[in-house]
Amino acid sequence: MKHALFAGAALAAFAVCSQAMAGQLTAWVIDAAAEKPYFDQLAGAFNAQFEASGVTLEVLPVPSYNDAIQAASVSGGLPDIILLDGPNMAAAAWAGTIQPITSLIDPALLKDMMPGVLAQGTYGPTGELYFVSAYDSTVILWGNRKQLEAAGVRIPTSVEDAWTREEFRDALEQLAQVDGVKWPLDMKLNYGAGEWMTYGFAPFVQSNGGDLIDRTTWVAEGTLNSPGNIDVVTELQDWYKRGWIVPASAGDNQFYGEKTAALSWVGNWMWPPHSEGLGDDLVMIPAPNFGPDGVKSANGGWGWAVPTATTNREDVKVFLDFVMSDEQVALYADITGFAPSRAAAIPLSEKFKESGPQDLFAEQGNCCAVVRPVHPAYPAITLAWSRALQNILSDGSADVKTELDAAAQAIDQDIADNQGYPPFSAQ
Amino acid sequence: MTINSHSRRQELAMLVPAMLFLVAIIFVPFALSIWFSFTDQRLVPRPIPTSFVGITNYERLFADRLFWQAIGNTLLFAVLVVPFQLAISLAAAMALNAAIPFRSFFRSVSILPLLLPMTVVVAIWSMLYRIPTGPLNLVYQWFTGSENYVDFIGGSSTAMISLVVLSAWASFPYQMLIYLAGLQDISPELYEAAKLDGAESWQRFRSVTWPGLRNVNIFLLILTTIQALKLFTQVNVMTKGGPNGATTTIIYYLFQQGYTTQKVGYASAIAVVFFVAVSAIALMQRILLKNEGDS
Repeated sequence: MKHALFAGAALAAFAVCSQAMAGQLTAWVIDAAAEKPYFDQLAGAFNAQFEASGVTLEVLPVPSYNDAIQAASVSGGLPDIILLDGPNMAAAAWAGTIQPITSLIDPALLKDMMPGVLAQGTYGPTGELYFVSAYDSTVILWGNRKQLEAAGVRIPTSVEDAWTREEFRDALEQLAQVDGVKWPLDMKLNYGAGEWMTYGFAPFVQSNGGDLIDRTTWVAEGTLNSPGNIDVVTELQDWYKRGWIVPASAGDNQFYGEKTAALSWVGNWMWPPHSEGLGDDLVMIPAPNFGPDGVKSANGGWGWAVPTATTNREDVKVFLDFVMSDEQVALYADITGFAPSRAAAIPLSEKFKESGPQDLFAEQGNCCAVVRPVHPAYPAITLAWSRALQNILSDGSADVKTELDAAAQAIDQDIADNQGYPPFSAQ
Repeated sequence: MTINSHSRRQELAMLVPAMLFLVAIIFVPFALSIWFSFTDQRLVPRPIPTSFVGITNYERLFADRLFWQAIGNTLLFAVLVVPFQLAISLAAAMALNAAIPFRSFFRSVSILPLLLPMTVVVAIWSMLYRIPTGPLNLVYQWFTGSENYVDFIGGSSTAMISLVVLSAWASFPYQMLIYLAGLQDISPELYEAAKLDGAESWQRFRSVTWPGLRNVNIFLLILTTIQALKLFTQVNVMTKGGPNGATTTIIYYLFQQGYTTQKVGYASAIAVVFFVAVSAIALMQRILLKNEGDS
């Protein structure tokens, strides 16, 4: 009798456990203010559609997201689906943390995707897709119309007639003399030495024909510290020394709050606070054309990836097809202000369906996006470059060539320490 | 078996659980750190196996300009903050030891900075240091009668001092409480005797208070020095090691190497060097400053 009871209880417990595992998906997402409304509705919308067929979704916002992911990947506690920052995809794929999703998503959903977004999720050596995102971000110049007109500066309307380097410099010089303008340009130095320094500043050197690293040999020396790069970064440092750039300790709102900065170089996530602060005075100006390669746009953002340990791939396919569907992509764009990554979602989006200044986001994303280097050494690349740039732009005293040389050396050292991250380069 | 060795065994048996805990939490990671410093260990698993690299990490470390900059910054911070913090906490303790009105109220209020998490302290002081019109800059502008501002956090020459002031304000109540206890330990008869001898207040301080606080001073000197050498949170939240590396401390550099670039082997080498250095400093302080009552 005792044995039967025990066996019965064990069986029941086993049944309950397996019941709970089949068809249930858990997804970790970032705990960010802009995306919060989207993630709040995601589980509800998914379950409404799919609970009947036996698949349920739980969405968990996790604070200190990157730390949590790192800790969980070491301890083996990753959920079924994670949100991942695009540039970190190659490192995660190389370490074996995530699995390919090429067969886990409907190919029709990838056909009209922005090339920059596809590039961000494609792992070079195998050509497999590891990551997919509902949006693409970009960085533009936001302007204060009144101050620009007072300085007599031409306001470009599309990527074709973007400011050249000389025009940009002249504009800053004019703006510096306008009443009420303390610093002509806010470059968000207050974000500190982090991803922003790479994401927001690489387009300048890339527009001039340079790059952070040679993308065929994967060597930084000679590319990151090329004469062209040194030239562009020296110009930026010169602007800083002339007092044209908002210093880091001046805070975040010199452009849209205090209105002491006439231009702001920042991504489209600032659309809500900018339009609130400046209203009709807000103008959106394309990224400048710094050299022979034309306008270059920053690219990338967070997207969905699947940890290697996930076994219920059928359910994951249902999730990915849902979250990359026209309606969901359009909803994401409407809530966050980022450009939808799929063309089919645009007519469904309140913010993007009608022509308007926001077309600039999609235009820049489609024509000129340069994906950040898709390589497992990316964390080392971004740390070295952003630290160099922070030193160069912090008080104007650092020597540009020395800093960039040191950055290139640190990156190449890291690649050598990992034996070239096989199979990226044989060493 | 004698009674002594039996009770001895009992003592050891009581200690065993706590010793196991200590070994697991402190000694094992400590030994692992030393081991990792001789390898090229990474934070996250990777397809290439971790290999033994001998003293390569240490060689690179001692040739690393940024490492030496971090050491210099950390020592500078310690040299600036320790006397400053001890001075203000002693002054506060002496003020709160005197018979002032509302003494209990002031004693409670002066502990408040210690209760705030460091991130909150940094948020408050970032606002105070804000340019161009943060409160401290407004005071500066009022004094100098000009529109110029001082970039406290962003200027290479002022960033470290800004951190010193912030850190001293945040932690001085701790030292103040210990000084207060030390002051109350000094017998009031000594003060009366000094007054009868005609000593002024400064002479009373020099002859009665200061010698009476000798043990407390030694303890706080070692403690505050070690705390100062560990500076991290303020740098990580407020200055991010800038400007131009002027506020990068050893622990922040260790964090960047071990966590951000995931080079656990290299970071372990930094940790070992740091441990040896701090132990040496603490030991030196202990040897040079003999406690009262030591033979």
